[in-house]
Amino acid sequence: MNGKIIVISSGKGGVGKTTATASIGAALAMDGKRVAVVDMDIGLRNLDVVMGLENRIVYNIVDIVRGKCKVKQAAIKDRRIDNLFLIPASQSDNKDALNPQDIMRISKELRKAFDFILMDCPAGIERGFENAVAAADEAVVVCTPEVSSIRDADRVIGLLSAKGIPSKLLINRIVPAMVNRGDMLSHQDVVDVLSIDLVGLVEADDQVVISTNSGKPIVMQEDSRAGQAFKRIAMRLNGQPDLPIQVPKSSQSFWKKFGSKIGFGK
Amino acid sequence: MLSDFMRKLFGKNGSKDIAKKRLQFALVYDRLEVSDDMLKEMQNEIVAVISRYFVIDRDQLKLDITRHDDLSALMLNTPIISAKTRQRTANPRVADKKGKGQKFSGAKNRAI
Ligand SMILES: Nc1ncnc2c1ncn2[C@@H]1O[C@H](COP(=O)(O)OP(=O)(O)OP(=O)(O)O)[C@@H](O)[C@H]1O
Ligand SMILES: [Mg+2]
Repeated sequence: MNGKIIVISSGKGGVGKTTATASIGAALAMDGKRVAVVDMDIGLRNLDVVMGLENRIVYNIVDIVRGKCKVKQAAIKDRRIDNLFLIPASQSDNKDALNPQDIMRISKELRKAFDFILMDCPAGIERGFENAVAAADEAVVVCTPEVSSIRDADRVIGLLSAKGIPSKLLINRIVPAMVNRGDMLSHQDVVDVLSIDLVGLVEADDQVVISTNSGKPIVMQEDSRAGQAFKRIAMRLNGQPDLPIQVPKSSQSFWKKFGSKIGFGK
Repeated sequence: MLSDFMRKLFGKNGSKDIAKKRLQFALVYDRLEVSDDMLKEMQNEIVAVISRYFVIDRDQLKLDITRHDDLSALMLNTPIISAKTRQRTANPRVADKKGKGQKFSGAKNRAI
């Protein structure tokens, strides 16, 4: 196998990197790919709890780098989804426990063992970021439709492109009703500002919070719009780059329908 | 809902237009943030070009990006010691001859 390494990054914290990593990873595995999701947020690990695998951690990524264990020993197998593995972060170290060369070195083994390796990047653009992007073939940059998050995404896209890593944009936490009334940037506005290709649009969805509470992958929920959006993102990353982007819509009200009929709506 | 409709009817948009404008301005400046390495490299290349035509004092050369309200300027300041003639350009050793320093401050351009 010669797996592909995709880093999920954002610059700004709390925009949905970990949620996206867990969801896209689960969706890729459900499509039959062998997937490792790697928590690169050393010292602030979260991917394990989001995936509901926190009780099964034995080894972590720092142990692999230090030669304390093999990749296969540290990779926790998800029991609900075949072919999905988590490589957790160490909670007791800090970002300096790793360096980009370490990651380059173990990336060879990771590529051999998996089809897709998703790196969950920490917030910021310092050491933790450098480690997470070190071996990446491509990047998914996550932002929300807010000024600070978009600005930080621009910075990260610039840093990635300087390293020769192509990135695509995932806009998360879209609130269609706000977009409709002109109080939230639309995906088109964000694309205009950042001039970058989209990989997908995910709306703000209470189901994300609910499924995170129980540690159950959101893509397993057929009725979650965010879950379905993450599934389509996984398909775009997995050989179907041209799958049409679906724009989240709020349930149409009378006035909006009326407005769009007479040419004022979108 | 009615207010949405009214807003659209009268062409008044919500706060997102302000957000977009502010972002576009902010990013223009963010993207101008040039790394020191890049500036050094550019300086070396510019010096190489100028040196084909003028004898300059390399130690006194200054390259800066300055910002004003609505434009950014690339400022290059270099004392010119003397001009090179065509023949002299062909023979670089003549460039060692010291002449009287002259301030040259012409390369003010709108940054791209
Ligand atoms: N589409 C969504 N709808 C609703 N809530 C969401 C959505 N995406 C993420 N969240 C929530 O937002 C919070 C932050 O998400 P997450 O932890 O994935 O962000 P992050 O970018 O990994 O943060 P950090 O920078 O701290 O690592 C979480 O509580 C998560 O459940
Ligand atoms: Mg996270």
